[in-house]
Amino acid sequence: MPPDVSVRDLVKQYVVPERAGGLRASFRSVLRRKHRLVRAVDGISFEVDRGEVVGFLGPNGAGKTTALKVLSGLLHPTEGQVDVLGYTPWDRRAEYLSRITLIMGQRQQLFWDLPAADSFLVNKAVFGIDDAVYKRTVDLLTELLDLGDLLTKPVRQLSLGERMKVELAAGLLHTPRVLFLDEPTIGLDVTMQQRIREFVTAYNAETGATVLLTSHYMADVKALARRVIVIDQGKLLYDGALAGLVQRYAPHKTITVHLERSVELPDLNGQAEVLSVEGLQVTVRAGKDDAAEVTGRLLAQLPIADLSVEDPPLEEVIDQVFRGDGP
Amino acid sequence: MRILRIVSAFLRAAILKETAYRAELVGNLVRSVINIGVAVGGLAVVFSHTSDLSGWRLEQAMVLLGVYYLVQGIVQTALSPSLNEVVSEVRKGTFDYVLLKPVPSLLLSSTRRFVVWHVADVMLGGAIIAIGLIRLEAQITVGIAAVFVGVMVGGVSIVFSIWLALTTLVFWFVRVENITMIFQLFFDTGRYPVEIYPFWLRQLLTFVFPVAFITTVPAQTITGREPLVAIWLAPLIGALALLAAARFWRIGLSRYTSASS
Repeated sequence: MPPDVSVRDLVKQYVVPERAGGLRASFRSVLRRKHRLVRAVDGISFEVDRGEVVGFLGPNGAGKTTALKVLSGLLHPTEGQVDVLGYTPWDRRAEYLSRITLIMGQRQQLFWDLPAADSFLVNKAVFGIDDAVYKRTVDLLTELLDLGDLLTKPVRQLSLGERMKVELAAGLLHTPRVLFLDEPTIGLDVTMQQRIREFVTAYNAETGATVLLTSHYMADVKALARRVIVIDQGKLLYDGALAGLVQRYAPHKTITVHLERSVELPDLNGQAEVLSVEGLQVTVRAGKDDAAEVTGRLLAQLPIADLSVEDPPLEEVIDQVFRGDGP
Repeated sequence: MRILRIVSAFLRAAILKETAYRAELVGNLVRSVINIGVAVGGLAVVFSHTSDLSGWRLEQAMVLLGVYYLVQGIVQTALSPSLNEVVSEVRKGTFDYVLLKPVPSLLLSSTRRFVVWHVADVMLGGAIIAIGLIRLEAQITVGIAAVFVGVMVGGVSIVFSIWLALTTLVFWFVRVENITMIFQLFFDTGRYPVEIYPFWLRQLLTFVFPVAFITTVPAQTITGREPLVAIWLAPLIGALALLAAARFWRIGLSRYTSASS
């Protein structure tokens, strides 16, 4: 089976006006604009198979959103080939657009003054969804997203999280096969983020849809994607399993020991750094290569009740990747 | 058929939205009535000093004013709300959702908003036309009515095309509200027959901003006045304007998809 998404050497550059701050510069820019060429996406290639959930990681301005926009047909690439479900996205063929969705966490499509159900009916007409399928889909989404009576309240009365849930539902009414989710949990509280994540997982399991999502929140990626694609400044830095990313980029491990009684800590030879001492719990950080030796020394010299060696939090790993001082 | 279903879904949503704000609905209706009442009163004042305005009698000028409100009502009900939405959506970034729909973007962009209460202008305009025609004791045959409708369709097409072209500028300049305001100023000159304006302005209003085709020409066809220009020019120019505006839209759109981020 060919992959659902296939991207080859994708480049997208665009022109941005540039001007210095200040009133005088503003006046000058009215008359003569200076422009600068930005390479938002700079030669990335990857494939995504049917039913996969892939997380797109990168700092702000890394090119994640631009890439998703090219994939969903909103932007023409400067160079490169893209094939999604056998279509070239930017031809924006009706059959293609009926099979995909792009949901942007920061941009709403629902009528603000009306209950979401009314906006849904518009989408039903626009996508030409027939009654039986529509009803089935709304039922499924209501169940998975726990929409309850949210659909009958004017959108402006919904909380941010509730609004995101109905926005997600609105974007999925036509049962797309490929989902592009751009920051679907942005600005939501932790519980709501969790709900959205659970939904994406359940939806993927239920429908077998392919999902490509971007997020700032590592928790999203950890919970959802077994595979991550990391891009920075338009370039692909890593494509593979989440575990592999940590292994490759984590510069150190965190060793936590529970002591049986309070004792003096041994000399760690500069191989490890004590992060915290809280009662009988001591946390130290050791370089990846030193971790084994440090663990051995701790076990030999301390009255240890319990010991664990962990990779650092994903946030730290990602930070390491973006600072470019990984291996 | 599909298009009809889409448009009626939007229309339904618009009616629901409008009726959700009943106070505004009533206020706007009152405003329409007052607006048109003042305009008719103004005409009456002018014609109390003269019985002939550049060859137009009061009743004929009333029909023209009726046509003006009819067109204005159609534009404000069905055309400008959708196009104004495009302008604000491009700025907010939600225009992307229009491009993600499996329907031609121009169709969606020009049919998705309605401001229903402006239908009042359409009805009041029609009423003024009817009163004018009755007082003129004009003989309206089916043929004349058909020509009038054809000319009106041409006129509305011209208005829509100009508005669409101005809206399309949003893909380059992002803020274009002031540009569409300029069009409204020209359109306002259509309350009076173009013959009352000085030669240069009349030429401008006939050939550059063809306001003449929007009100003067349709009013001429049913009030039995000597035509300003050949009648068949109206639908022809309307059709050409639509084609040109649609083409310009495609150019704007390709700029949007290639230059924006």
